[in-house]
Amino acid sequence: MTNWTEFAFNPADYGLPTREDLVKLRIWDIHYHGFTGSDPMGQHAETMKYVERMGIERVFSLEIAGHLDRPFVATGIEAQQQTILEKESHRVSGLVCVDPADPDRSVEKMVRWIRNGPCVGIKYAGHDRHNIRCNHPNNDPIISLAGELHALVYIHSWLKVGGDPRRPGGGNGAGEATPMDVAALAQRFPEVPLICGHSGGDWELGIRAVRPYKNVYLEFAGSDPHSGAVDLAVRELGAERIVWGGHTPSRSYATELSKVLDADLTADQRRLILGGNLRRLATPIFQKKGYKI
Amino acid sequence: MPQSPIDRRDFLKGSLLPAAALPILFARGVEVAGSGAGQAAPATDPPGIIDTNVHLFDWPFRTLKYRHTTDLVAKLRKHRVSQAWAGNFEAVLHKNLDVANSRLVEECRARGEGLLLPFGSVNPTWPDWEEDLRRCHEVYRMPGVRLYPNYHNYRLDAPEVVQLLRRATERGLVVQIAIELEDERVHHPIITVPPVNAAPLIDALKSVPDARVQLLNPLTAVRNSNLIRETAVVFDMSNLEGTGAIGRLIEGKHVSIRSTIPASRLLFGSHAPYAPCEAALLRLFESPLERDQLLAIVRENAGRLLPRA
Repeated sequence: MTNWTEFAFNPADYGLPTREDLVKLRIWDIHYHGFTGSDPMGQHAETMKYVERMGIERVFSLEIAGHLDRPFVATGIEAQQQTILEKESHRVSGLVCVDPADPDRSVEKMVRWIRNGPCVGIKYAGHDRHNIRCNHPNNDPIISLAGELHALVYIHSWLKVGGDPRRPGGGNGAGEATPMDVAALAQRFPEVPLICGHSGGDWELGIRAVRPYKNVYLEFAGSDPHSGAVDLAVRELGAERIVWGGHTPSRSYATELSKVLDADLTADQRRLILGGNLRRLATPIFQKKGYKI
Repeated sequence: MPQSPIDRRDFLKGSLLPAAALPILFARGVEVAGSGAGQAAPATDPPGIIDTNVHLFDWPFRTLKYRHTTDLVAKLRKHRVSQAWAGNFEAVLHKNLDVANSRLVEECRARGEGLLLPFGSVNPTWPDWEEDLRRCHEVYRMPGVRLYPNYHNYRLDAPEVVQLLRRATERGLVVQIAIELEDERVHHPIITVPPVNAAPLIDALKSVPDARVQLLNPLTAVRNSNLIRETAVVFDMSNLEGTGAIGRLIEGKHVSIRSTIPASRLLFGSHAPYAPCEAALLRLFESPLERDQLLAIVRENAGRLLPRA
């Protein structure tokens, strides 16, 4: 089948939303990894076919101007990415990766790409390069500037079981944040919205870790789909504190949409989670840059 | 969205089952997928789905939303699942598997509404496992068994595995092997249960070439292209992850898996109620699959795997 918006079976016959239904939901994807692999531009072009097929309105790329593992090393595709962010600003937005081990270069990158460039936020990666996590004082100038720019702040967080004795988080990389690390940062910057990525990996514990901190938003992408996860998050945090990510291409829109479709939600709650909350968070910086909301 | 019509030929193709299996299924009150319990369905009916990877009751480490069988059956029906092969989550950690198997078959009978097909469990490293297997076949009249090697703490190169494959094949039973029920990164810290290494199956199946084996939750196993090339095992698709994963695996263009899996080796499986049914369903639509490929995955391949009388 060559037409990417045709389906051999009708999704509605299988209790699923049609593509038109998905388009109407105005889905915004905070977690797009299209610019990765040995041919990042080719992979982006290929992945966008699935973005179109699944009715996703906007993606936020996390790999603008640097790879997550090498945030300050030139990739050679910066100019092409800038062109895409400018010419396709109606559907592709960009976040730049920062590193609290080097706050000066992180701030320089934010000035160049957010204050003076097309990007709208920052990404903290999960890594094992050093043990300076998102709660370290080095982060203060980064988060202060993010707050000033109204930049989106996405923080990878996990609770990988491991260590001796084994415990959730004991298997994390040295610099890989837990949701408790995100919570610690949130207390220092209560006015700055923070997105706790991957629901902390272990959503049953991640939800508890961020629950008291109203400026922390939860995103579920990049972990296996578990029935009931979004139901619990809505009960404990409220639908207003959940944003949605697709984690393509290593994960799938199938997996990530299913987490929300599985939940018992009102139509308004579903719209908030799949795009409304992210639009609300992005409104100040989008308006400043003249991007369509 | 533009839809391709389902014609009668496709529908009938999708209803094919081994002829000898039909009397057994009807005798058990199990509705054959899409057949309307033997009545000819309208040509325009969308094909029903055979879900090969469902469990009943609670996951040992979490209370599940669809833990009650009646709720699970209603959920499956909502998504046009017309037959579901069901294991019992109690078999993952219980020692007395016969009690778990007995409860499973009774629950399927009492609350399955003709949709659930029970798959009992056997641990071939425990004493007198042959009796559990015999009861699954002769007493409970199950069409197959489901193995949990990592939770039951044995490897697939254990000599007992070949014995079980041989005995099950002699009885005409399908053998399902659960490779990875849960991402090990989020396991309860008290357990250490890595995914099952499926590689020893290559040699094991040379000893039992007629065995009919399906791997469930097989993401780690399908990375082994030798397993795909040198055996006839089939795979459920519940955790085959990646954007457009199903289409890309069929084409050999998956973003991180180098293997190619023909559509004839892929069976629909949802891993419900642990996972949302919607995840596996949406995988079917995320890939731009042809109608024939979809029919093969949602029912024809499962139909071929059902036991001979």
